[in-house]
Amino acid sequence: MNTWEYAESIESSSIVSIEKKYGIFFDGQFQSPNSKKYLKTISPSTEEVLSSVALGNKSDIDSAVESAKSGLKVWSKLSGTQRAKYLFKLARLIQERSREFAVLESLDGGKPIKESRDFDLPQVAANFFYFAGWADKLDISWNTKGLKPYGIVGQIIPWNFPLLMLSWKVAPALATGNVVILKPAESTPLTALLFAELCQEVGLPPGVFNLVTGDGTTGAALVQHPDVSKIAFTGSTAVGKYIQNETADRDIGLTLELGGKAANIVFNDAAIDQAVEGVVNGIFFNQGHVCCAGSRLVLQEDIHDEFVSKLEKRMQSLRVGNPLDKNTDIGAINSKEQLDKISSLVNEGIAEGGSIFQTDCDLPTDGYWFRPTLFTNAQPSYKISREEIFGPVLTTLTFRTPEEAIEISNNTEYGLSAGIWTEKGSKILWAADRLQAGVIWANTFNKFDPSSPFGGYKESGFGREGGRHGLLSYLKVQS
Amino acid sequence: MNEIKKTYKNYVGGKYLRSESGKTFRIALKSEFYEVPLTSRKDVRDAVVAAKKGFTEWQKLTPYNRTQVLYRLSEMLEGNIETYQQILEDSGLSKSKAKEDTKQALDSLIWYAGIADKWEQMTGNLNPVAGEYFNISHQESLGIVFTLNSDENSLNQLLLNILPSLVTGCSVISFNGDNSIMALKLAEDINNSDLPAGALNILSGKFDQIIDDVSNHVEINAMAIYKQLPSTDKKIIRENASKSLKRIFINPPVSGLESLLPFIETKTVWHPKGR
Repeated sequence: MNTWEYAESIESSSIVSIEKKYGIFFDGQFQSPNSKKYLKTISPSTEEVLSSVALGNKSDIDSAVESAKSGLKVWSKLSGTQRAKYLFKLARLIQERSREFAVLESLDGGKPIKESRDFDLPQVAANFFYFAGWADKLDISWNTKGLKPYGIVGQIIPWNFPLLMLSWKVAPALATGNVVILKPAESTPLTALLFAELCQEVGLPPGVFNLVTGDGTTGAALVQHPDVSKIAFTGSTAVGKYIQNETADRDIGLTLELGGKAANIVFNDAAIDQAVEGVVNGIFFNQGHVCCAGSRLVLQEDIHDEFVSKLEKRMQSLRVGNPLDKNTDIGAINSKEQLDKISSLVNEGIAEGGSIFQTDCDLPTDGYWFRPTLFTNAQPSYKISREEIFGPVLTTLTFRTPEEAIEISNNTEYGLSAGIWTEKGSKILWAADRLQAGVIWANTFNKFDPSSPFGGYKESGFGREGGRHGLLSYLKVQS
Repeated sequence: MNEIKKTYKNYVGGKYLRSESGKTFRIALKSEFYEVPLTSRKDVRDAVVAAKKGFTEWQKLTPYNRTQVLYRLSEMLEGNIETYQQILEDSGLSKSKAKEDTKQALDSLIWYAGIADKWEQMTGNLNPVAGEYFNISHQESLGIVFTLNSDENSLNQLLLNILPSLVTGCSVISFNGDNSIMALKLAEDINNSDLPAGALNILSGKFDQIIDDVSNHVEINAMAIYKQLPSTDKKIIRENASKSLKRIFINPPVSGLESLLPFIETKTVWHPKGR
């Protein structure tokens, strides 16, 4: 029942040139991996092989650590202002080549060009700009004595916002005087590899930024390396727990930004049309591959029917398809593995008794796709109400009183984010005080800014990224 | 030797309790042996139940109230200062050192009492986001904190191990070994200082007997270790903690604003601006 037909408007991919094969990046150079092994990276929207990237092993991590040690010798002698200049330069270069990065991100990861172009890339540049300015102000950042960088920082990032997560990690780490070994996600390594080229271009001292592509075994080797004194990880709660356990015998720094199952609470005194828009953005942004996605719609009972009807109508207008089409709202699911996971959880939701609504739209024949999905009639005990689906699937739960809304919302091991929709200011502040989550969006959702700290309560991890608070993730506080 | 020998007990949920196991261990002061509770695994679980209630009550107080409660503790402490000095001396300090330590302890207490209604002004801030949004990061208490206190014969050190988490609004289960007499004595002044029951619980015992139970307990949100532990113990703690992502702080700072930082969670709230 599409009211409007859209003509295709395809962003050209001719702006990117992808090498057939990529090595690992250390000592300021791309080098063949000691492992002699490679992984294929594909485009999830076409299943076409884009390139082969190194499958780094322990020996490759060793090389990167040696490189990082020599990088640290140089980096630690620079003044904060000198570090700032490198980061400002990187920010500028990212802006200049942002279209190229955006296309590459959409090709490799499947996200709509509208999002990579208008959200990811501007935010990436903004993060480098923001943290560049902190590099020479660390001594006045906190009312504490003796803030010191860790040294060699290992960073492991996910596939949902590949370059943005790189910027969240790399910019503050370098600003605070650390050097970095980055392990990008197995399915989305290409923009990180292009970023390494930028580091060469700005003349970043060799060994300050090191990049080892690979899979989970590569990440494990990085986590286990005794000379890495800080691990920053974004990804699943299960892997976060593995990392805390794996590093138990070392006195290292750890920040973990893990999963979520955010409640998006809509009170009956909310501006309903705005709330519908916010709920749609909260769950369908980036195919729902968002750790802070508003995946539980917590709806006041007396507006349930009206709200759901408006929500279904709005969902139906979402355009699913080619990520490079500028009209596309929902791109490809990042991998076959993730698609299977989403499908299986949705099937369980149906089996448990949830009522499912999926939009009526054509899906491309190749690639990995999932229709925008809404569950109603769900119970808090259902798997779809408890587990992170990490896809375009929204589960509805209902409440009668504000107290009940808070109880339902906090009834999860996670605590990353939450949403509140009401026109009553005092109710916003009341609810915000009671929700156990690190980020609360009131009458908005999924807003991000380099100056705004992000990170979770409970099993959503610990530490903050972004803002003044994000600096403490990369500085040891000594008494 | 005193004519009436005192029995020191654990302080849990505002009550003085023996270990449910009936077990004790012996601490020798200059002229007297004391049998203090040997905290059992069940005692730890009971303390968590008390600390949960205490957390709710402690949270209900305004920061201004918390300042007054902690100041009241300093009034109680000062009234009994000679008793503390005696314990320090009986545990081996010289008279002048004991006096100096209690003086420092009072100063520490005054410092922390006064920061209860201020620290958030130093740890929180507005964030200048690029857009028409009000965006503020403020802090909340981590929840229930277990502190393993230093064995040092010092009232000041004891307070510096307890106060950072307590002043941020956490409820505290404070565990003591060799310094237990001092800690259990302190419990009496805590009891007289209007601190809600369960907000601060004082236990004595042998840490290696409860290490697994504490580090595995999912309702303890954080552990702060103020004692030097062998690396094998640190490994056990962190491995167990990883099952629920418990926050572990090994030898965190004991003075200044930095001593509070481990015990807070940052919450960032966004709201659009508009007409």
